[in-house]
Amino acid sequence: MCADTTADVVIIGSGMAGALIAKELGRAGKKVLILEAGAELPADTNGYMRTFYNAYFKVPEIPYPPDVFTPTSSSDLNDLTDPGTVNAGRPTVMSLLPTNWQDPAKSYLIQKGPLPFASTYERINGGTSRHWLGTSLRNVPNDFVMRDKYGVFVDWPLRYDGSADKSLNLKQWYTKAERAIGVSADVADQTYLGVTFDQPYPMPKIPLSYLDTKLSEGLKGFSQDGTELKVRSTPAARNSQPYQDRRVCAGNTNCIPICPIQAKYDPSVTLAEAFRTGNVDILYRTVASDIVVGENGRVGGIKFVRYREDKGPRTEEGTAVGKLYVIAGNAIETPRLLLMSMNRKGVANSSGLVGKNLMDHPLYLAWALMPADKPVYPYRGPLSTAGIEDLRDGPFRKQRGAFRIEIGNEGWNFPIGDPQRTTMDFINGLNQSGLNSGSGGKPGPAVWGPQLVENLNRVLPRQFRLAFLIEQEPEESNRVALADAKDGLDLPRPEIHYDLSPYTRRGMAAAKRLATAIFNKLGATEFTQPAPGAPSEFPSPDNPAERIQFYGAGHLVGTYRMGTDKWKSVVDADQKAWDHDNLYLVGCGTFPTVATANPTLTLAALSLRTVDHIVKKVLN
Amino acid sequence: MTVITRRTVLTGAAAATAVGTVNVPVASAGDDKADLASFIDISVALTGIAQEKLAPDLDPINIKQAYFEQAQKDPAFDDLLARWRNRPAGAGAEVFFTQRDPVRYLARNIIIAWYLGGWCKTEVLESYDVPNPPPFPIPFTVINAAAYTQGWAWRVAQAHPMGYSELRFGYWADKPFALPVLIGSKK
Repeated sequence: MCADTTADVVIIGSGMAGALIAKELGRAGKKVLILEAGAELPADTNGYMRTFYNAYFKVPEIPYPPDVFTPTSSSDLNDLTDPGTVNAGRPTVMSLLPTNWQDPAKSYLIQKGPLPFASTYERINGGTSRHWLGTSLRNVPNDFVMRDKYGVFVDWPLRYDGSADKSLNLKQWYTKAERAIGVSADVADQTYLGVTFDQPYPMPKIPLSYLDTKLSEGLKGFSQDGTELKVRSTPAARNSQPYQDRRVCAGNTNCIPICPIQAKYDPSVTLAEAFRTGNVDILYRTVASDIVVGENGRVGGIKFVRYREDKGPRTEEGTAVGKLYVIAGNAIETPRLLLMSMNRKGVANSSGLVGKNLMDHPLYLAWALMPADKPVYPYRGPLSTAGIEDLRDGPFRKQRGAFRIEIGNEGWNFPIGDPQRTTMDFINGLNQSGLNSGSGGKPGPAVWGPQLVENLNRVLPRQFRLAFLIEQEPEESNRVALADAKDGLDLPRPEIHYDLSPYTRRGMAAAKRLATAIFNKLGATEFTQPAPGAPSEFPSPDNPAERIQFYGAGHLVGTYRMGTDKWKSVVDADQKAWDHDNLYLVGCGTFPTVATANPTLTLAALSLRTVDHIVKKVLN
Repeated sequence: MTVITRRTVLTGAAAATAVGTVNVPVASAGDDKADLASFIDISVALTGIAQEKLAPDLDPINIKQAYFEQAQKDPAFDDLLARWRNRPAGAGAEVFFTQRDPVRYLARNIIIAWYLGGWCKTEVLESYDVPNPPPFPIPFTVINAAAYTQGWAWRVAQAHPMGYSELRFGYWADKPFALPVLIGSKK
């Protein structure tokens, strides 16, 4: 069955990049068709919330289809969905368990190692921004010029504000992006390391948490590499005032996986605005399978496959035809599509770089307990409201990965799944949390009643964690390829080759040292330890007897990089494929380096810059 | 890893744990109303949360009913009631924990329900009640969505379940309510 469609612009993917571009095209009077691989949103998100409440494993992907478990509430790992059976699969946190990460029946990604790629994503209306945190930092100016400034990596073809050619400066596009998604922040707090502002943020900052304030007080005068560690509020796409007809944040401490009141921006907001232009249409459960390139080098259409049920058969096939095409998958799904196109000869790949330079912010997680007389009252407020940003740049970047530090408001939930684990320890007389130690190395006894209250209240209000997001070195050997394993539509799944370079590992080791120094300065007791059997660990470069575990930050970056030389990059500064005049590749895959900010705001700024270029210079 | 030792505190406190101060009329198992009353008394003793917070007179969510029905399905339920009703004068919930038997695991499940909204299989709790327990985490079934949102673990942390807050913008900048406000004055 054929369902051919036409539009001015065909967009693949309805995440942040696809949504922002669709809306602006629609406003400019261009007819847009979006193909979204995953499901539409339900009429309201209460069903997602119920799924979340009822789930045992409250992982970032759990509220969303396709089901992570069958049923989604299962606590039995044998009930994990086989990704080979679903039509629009994706990696999940469950697929990263030691027993699962290299099992094709448990992991959508075919992970070839040596280390696991530890981040996940969604394929659904809104893309992975369904479960994002909302952090909306700008890159610092030196993030764009690592080669020029420090002699490592490559420079971006764009600058923060330092280019004489003003069209190559991203600063004004950051401002537009902050308005488009609604960022709450304070200019004074965000003016550091060369970042400057011409205009205020659209909303005042989200207040610091009680924890943030206590850490700020406790770290007063504490320096690292000559830089004082200042706790700064984090810009967030969370409402501090009513904005875009959405409510203010109520501090549900659940930005990931789902804000119950949509105080956090997600792309469905922009998609709704796009649809209201009357020019934008979308096909859900529609998987792009082949980009067709004509003899003139221009893309002539994108073949797609449709399905109705997550595990059901193909129901339709067709070709979407437009004047211009925008691939807005993520840094794994976009190269997957490019590589599988044209009978696997590939598209946009004369540089040979499609799929290469896969990056993340490998995340070093450290957790501790504040002194008994200094509770910090976690499990309250947005998941994170502040960070330490001043170490994102410095001469040390010649030798090791820089990082920012995210302060978490959710106690030890990220590290060990608390308060569940500690509660179970006290109820059952166990000590997996480290907080129920008895004499002689044995766990403390099982308790109940007032003693249980006392034990829990003595420790839970003192928990906190720090997450260090390390800049990963781009390496061509870290790459996305096509696996032999197939998904439910018989399309090849992504195969991942991944490792952390010595440069990146030195950044992780520096994070580990600093975490311990911070805890010491605060008088806190550190409990950080790698999870038993975790595949995402490596020996510390400081001391090979010590293991360092890393986590994924969910930042998929780099696999179709932008540049100024068509043989050394896949797209130009406008995110247009060098090889095809009417093909644009957007999203974090175009970042030449992962930089030191969470990537979403930069993705949004680049998307708005690209659609402006398309509207004014290409389709006009 | 740093070890926090508080064995002495626990030893002293366990001996002094005499909870469950409500007098219960003697009733036979199977009398639903009396059984529910006993179940609530037992729950107060096991959780350390005051009855007016755990099962208030005006109780629109009425989560106690879900836990009561869950507990009734357990083969050890009658034994649990009997042990409570026949406990020595002045004794509290320690009567459930004297031996490795199904009553112990039912009592623990009742705490898990109130604190985390979950319910474990008896054999799972039994399997963790050994010196070298299986790998973590301990699997359980979330009883229902309300059970999660009513979990006491978060309130005892002076917080709220993740994804379920009834507080307003900016509350997180300040100290939370004091613990007695949240769990009730009677322990």
